[in-house]
Amino acid sequence: MEATVTQGNTGAQSAADAPALIVAKNLTKRFGDFTAVDGIDVEVRRGEAFGFLGPNGAGKSSTMRMIGCVAPVTSGTLRSLGLDPATDGPRIRARLGVVPQQDTLDLELTVRENLFVYGRYFGISRAALRPKVAELIEFAQLTERADALVEPLSGGMKRRLTIARSLINDPEILLLDEPTTGLDPQARHVLWDRLYRLKHRGVTLVLTTHYMDEAEQLCDRLVVMDGGRIVAEGSPQQLIAEHSSREVAELRFAPGENAAAEAGVLAALHGVPARVEALPDRLLLYVDDGEAAVTRVREAGLDPVSSLVRRSTLEDVFLRLTGRSLVD
Amino acid sequence: MSAASAPTGASIWTVVEYQVRLARSFWRSILIVGVATPLLYVLALGVGLGTVVNRNGTGELGVPYLVFVAPAFLTAAALQIGAADASFPLMGGFKWARTFHGMAATPLSPAQICDGQLTWIAIRLFANSAVYLAIMAMFGAARSPWILLAVPIATLTGIAFAAPVAAFVATIEREGNGLNVIFRFVVTPMFLFSGTFYPISQLPQWGQWLAWVSPLWHGTELARDSALGGGLSLLAVLGHLLYLVLWFVVGLQLARWRFRVRLTK
Repeated sequence: MEATVTQGNTGAQSAADAPALIVAKNLTKRFGDFTAVDGIDVEVRRGEAFGFLGPNGAGKSSTMRMIGCVAPVTSGTLRSLGLDPATDGPRIRARLGVVPQQDTLDLELTVRENLFVYGRYFGISRAALRPKVAELIEFAQLTERADALVEPLSGGMKRRLTIARSLINDPEILLLDEPTTGLDPQARHVLWDRLYRLKHRGVTLVLTTHYMDEAEQLCDRLVVMDGGRIVAEGSPQQLIAEHSSREVAELRFAPGENAAAEAGVLAALHGVPARVEALPDRLLLYVDDGEAAVTRVREAGLDPVSSLVRRSTLEDVFLRLTGRSLVD
Repeated sequence: MSAASAPTGASIWTVVEYQVRLARSFWRSILIVGVATPLLYVLALGVGLGTVVNRNGTGELGVPYLVFVAPAFLTAAALQIGAADASFPLMGGFKWARTFHGMAATPLSPAQICDGQLTWIAIRLFANSAVYLAIMAMFGAARSPWILLAVPIATLTGIAFAAPVAAFVATIEREGNGLNVIFRFVVTPMFLFSGTFYPISQLPQWGQWLAWVSPLWHGTELARDSALGGGLSLLAVLGHLLYLVLWFVVGLQLARWRFRVRLTK
C-alpha cells in the first residue's frame, strides 16, 4: 500500500496546492422527476480527506455513485483522475477503492477468498494477490478469522473486511459511503483508527457521513449537503468558526416549557452576542462564553432542569444552515 | 502502483473463477442433483414406464421407449438447470448478498458480469449433460456415437433459456415471486408439451403450436435425432439450431441490457 503514497508529506496543508483528483462542475443527478443532486461543484485534491456531510436523502450517495462510475451523470461535468466516467469508467474504477453503504461481501466465502476473488476482478495475478491478501487481512485485524466464512462475522468485522477489500488494487482514491453507519461506538473507533492510518499513508479519502463526529475526526475539508445542494464548504474548524459560536450552552427546561422559556432567556442575555435555537427538548444558546451565559440565565430567575456547556460542532453548523438536525 | 497502472485486465473469466470457487462449497449438492436426477428419471420413466409402453410394441416409436425418452430428459434437465441457475443465484447477486454491485465497482462492466455468469451456467450445463449422458449409456439408452452431440445440444438449449431468464431476474426489485411464476407456468408446461414423452404429432393443433414456440422442443428434436441416428433433414436440423441460437442471442442482449440498467442507476 506504500505504493499509493505519491507525495511525501500529505495532509491538509500540502493538499491545498496538490492537483485535483476529482473535479465536478454543476454535477446533477436526476431520477425521473426527482433531483437527487442539484448542480454541485466539488474539487478533491490528492492526499486530502474530503467529506460530504448531510442527512439521509441529501444526495451524498448519488454523488458517490457518480464519482465511483457506477451511476451515469445526468448533466454537468465530472472528471475523476483526469478521465471522463462516461467514456473511461473501467479505467477509473481500476484506480478507485469503493466501500459502499451496504456491504457486498460474499457471505458464503471466507475472509481470504473474498479478498482474493475481488482482486481477480481487477486483473491482479494470483501470485501478486497472495501476499497482498495476507497483508490486508492483517490490516483489517482479521488474522484469526482469515479462513472463516464471512456470514457469522460481526458488523464491524464485515465493515473492516469491506475496507480491506477496497484496498486490494492500491487505489489512488478511496470512496467510503457511510463507513460506520450501524456500528456500535467501539467498532466505529476501531474503524476510524484504520481510516486514519490510510490517511497517513497518503490515500485520498472521500467519504459521506451523517455523523458530525465522524466528519470532524476524519475530514480535512468537507461540504455540507442538503436537498441535493451544497450549503457550505470548508474545514471543520472553518465551518464552525463561520457558522456557529465558540461555545454552546444547552438548557433543558421542564417538558413543554422550553419554547416558553425562549423569550426569558433572550431577555436575560440582553447585550450579549447570542443566538437561541429552540429544539423540542432543549434550548441551545450560541455564545462565546457558555458558563457566563448560564449564570446570567439563572440570575434572571429562570431555572432550567439541567444545563450543559460544550464547544460548537458541525451538528450546530448544520442546524444553523438548514434549521434541521442531521440525524432524525 | 503495479496494480493501479496495469491495464484494467477485467475479464469475464474472473467471474467464472469466482463461481468455481463458490461451487467448491456446494459440490455435494451439485453432484447429487447431477447424478440423482438422471438416475431417477431414467429409472422411473425410461425403464419403468418404458416396460409398459414397450409391451404394446415399439412400432409407433420404432425404438424402445427408454431410447426415445432419455435424450428428451437430457435436454429438459439442461433447461431446468439453466433456468434455476439463472434465477435464484442471480437474485442473490442483485438483491440479497448484492455481490454484483460489488463487482460493478471494479473495472468489470455490467455486460462482463452478465457474460461471466452465463458462461459459468453454460459450463455447468455441459458438465451436467455429460454426466446425464453417461448414466443414460449405463442403462443402454445410447445406441449411436452421434448421441455425444446431445451434450452440446442440451447445453445450447439450457443457455438459450437461461439468458432471457437472467434478463428477467435483473428486473426483479422485490422478493422474486415472479420466479415462481416462471417455473410453474413456463418451465413445467414446457417440459410437458415439448415432445418429451411422446411425439408432438399426438398433440392437438394448439399443443403443437406451444411446442414449436418452446426452445425445449427444438432442443429435444435435435438431441433425439442424435440418439436415433439422424432421421431429420438437414434443413430441419439447421432450423432447430437457428431457433435456439436466436433465443440465446436475443436473450443475451436483453440480459446485458438489464444488467446494465440494474447495476448503473
